[in-house]
Amino acid sequence: MRSFSFIDFVSLLSALRWTVVLVVLALGFGAPLGLGLATGRISRLAPLRWISAAAIQVIQGVPLLGLLFFFYFGMPVFLGIQVPALVAVTVAYTLYTAAFLGEIWRGGLEAVKQAQWEAGACLGLSRWQQFRHIVGPQALRLSLPPTVGFLVQLVKGTSLASIIGFVELARAGQVVSAATFQPLLTYAVVAAIYFATCLPLTLWSRSLEARLDGSR
Amino acid sequence: MALVEIRDVHKKFGRTDVLNGVSLDVEEGEIVTIIGRSGSGKSTLLRCINALETVDAGEIHVEGQRVHARMPDLRQFRQRVGIVFQAFNLFSHLKVERNITLAPLLTGRIGKSEARPLALDVLARVGLADKIDAWPEQLSGGQQQRVAIARCLAMAPHLMLFDEVTSALDPELVGEVLKVMEAMARQGMTMILVTHEMGFARNVADRIVFMHQGRVWEQGPPSKLFVRPETPELASFIASVK
Amino acid sequence: MNFLPLWRYRDQLIDGTIVTLELTVIAACFGLLIGTAGAVALKGRVKPTRWLVRSYIELFRNTPSLIQLFIVFFVLPNFGLKLPAFEAAAVALSLYFGAYSVEIIRSGLDSVPRSQIEAGQCLGLSGWQVFFHILLPPALRNAYPAVTSQFVLLLLGTSLASQVAADELFHVAGFIESRTYRSFEVYAIICAVYFAMAMSFKILFAVVGALAFRWPRRR
Repeated sequence: MRSFSFIDFVSLLSALRWTVVLVVLALGFGAPLGLGLATGRISRLAPLRWISAAAIQVIQGVPLLGLLFFFYFGMPVFLGIQVPALVAVTVAYTLYTAAFLGEIWRGGLEAVKQAQWEAGACLGLSRWQQFRHIVGPQALRLSLPPTVGFLVQLVKGTSLASIIGFVELARAGQVVSAATFQPLLTYAVVAAIYFATCLPLTLWSRSLEARLDGSR
Repeated sequence: MALVEIRDVHKKFGRTDVLNGVSLDVEEGEIVTIIGRSGSGKSTLLRCINALETVDAGEIHVEGQRVHARMPDLRQFRQRVGIVFQAFNLFSHLKVERNITLAPLLTGRIGKSEARPLALDVLARVGLADKIDAWPEQLSGGQQQRVAIARCLAMAPHLMLFDEVTSALDPELVGEVLKVMEAMARQGMTMILVTHEMGFARNVADRIVFMHQGRVWEQGPPSKLFVRPETPELASFIASVK
Repeated sequence: MNFLPLWRYRDQLIDGTIVTLELTVIAACFGLLIGTAGAVALKGRVKPTRWLVRSYIELFRNTPSLIQLFIVFFVLPNFGLKLPAFEAAAVALSLYFGAYSVEIIRSGLDSVPRSQIEAGQCLGLSGWQVFFHILLPPALRNAYPAVTSQFVLLLLGTSLASQVAADELFHVAGFIESRTYRSFEVYAIICAVYFAMAMSFKILFAVVGALAFRWPRRR
């Protein structure tokens, strides 16, 4: 048994990089998929709307922890080969991110008035051009605050990867806590690191929202 | 003794003097119309009479009782003084009947069995007895405003205050609300109105009060005030609303 | 893939589901109480209380629920407060849910225009009557969608309680897995049960909402 030292603090802080890696992977794959789901939800093809809506409902109807375990144990079953934990975790967080961002961005798209689409159509723009140049940018502005807000949820959510043994910040906390027998200090430090990561995002989201309210 | 006595009332919002020494008496049964440009303090004065705003200096007495936000029987006082707002302020989660009977029931004025007859009675007086089971949002603006008036009438007030009650209405709906108010005037209700409807002011009011810069600038019967204004401010105001 | 060996454990699954529901409802009730008290405090005039509530909200919204749970379960015993797993989870989740409820309830109350309150006062209603009859119904309606979706997130979030071995559904999954070694099948079933619960609540909330809030929306 040893006491909590500066080295432990450094190891916790460096575990944060894996938290960041998870967030980046989740966003890198999840955001495009989320955009697909959002546009699917407002598509003119009914089946596309149903499929996107169902996908979002299913993913949002299952605990994140459940998604992680499902893919951790499921990937070998689906693929017939063992995959690294990182792959399974990435798949789970990607779907999680896609569902939430898809729902947020759909809200943004629907908040833009129908007349804006029509105005674009009157100028002879294609449906894609209307989206790309007229409705998309407005929707993005409207949905930026909740998008940043979701980022906070995602950062906190990566702590669950610890449960299937993936060593990120929360898992590093458990390891240090077990080694030092100082759970109070360790978890306080872990919480503080998460807090220091999330609070700026929260404040950013709030200021974006205030700016949006002010401009309306 | 006048029903309403206003003595040298001052009121500031921040650094702006909104009321700057207003004095005014309103007799029982009198119809007084307050006119003036926006920002002249008309609505604030009305809100002070009902203790929705507190005065900084001066006194307001209604029925001999000093009006104050902390007066001990503020609630009973407010039941005797009805106010109708520009934005109707009906409770959209309650049907018309409940909008009208909520306060009489909760304040113990009436019992349960008297509620619906009372609602029907006051609705009949504003010509809307058939809307008793409607939601407010299903009514036109003019109808909503008439329900708001009926809601006040249900408290059998001794004095009614009207704060620009037709300003939020489409032009074609103004007439029906004014008609209801005219009928109330004929029945002897004491009324103080802030309005931009000069035709109504001219035809129905006993007295016109012109407010300017937070003061009573000029007052008198409509026949005099509209025809021979004494101050250049009133003359230019009358010219601007014609 | 073989789901058959799991049939034997259906009773455990049902028990776990019940514990999950209990945990959710308890945390939701206490969380809403905290949320209401917090919203009232935020609207109040006492500065230190407002500051305290703000700090509470930021603290609990910007740290993972899992870490909060660990702190309640592993750290509070150091201060002589040793809670059993279920109680610890209930405390941690109540606090987490409460932090979100404050904002939801406050914005619900703020969404009712001041003029509605004034109209009530002008009719001679008391402060309590205005609150109960005029302010509360539209505030509830406006807060309802956010409260219910937060409730579903809470339901799913109770799965974290498995990490301190509270006997809820996800912990039961671990138990069955250790007996059957059918990891994938177990978690597939568990996910399906959570999904069924989440959907049932969403439908229930939609029905209750439609029955409770029948007045037409403000135009």
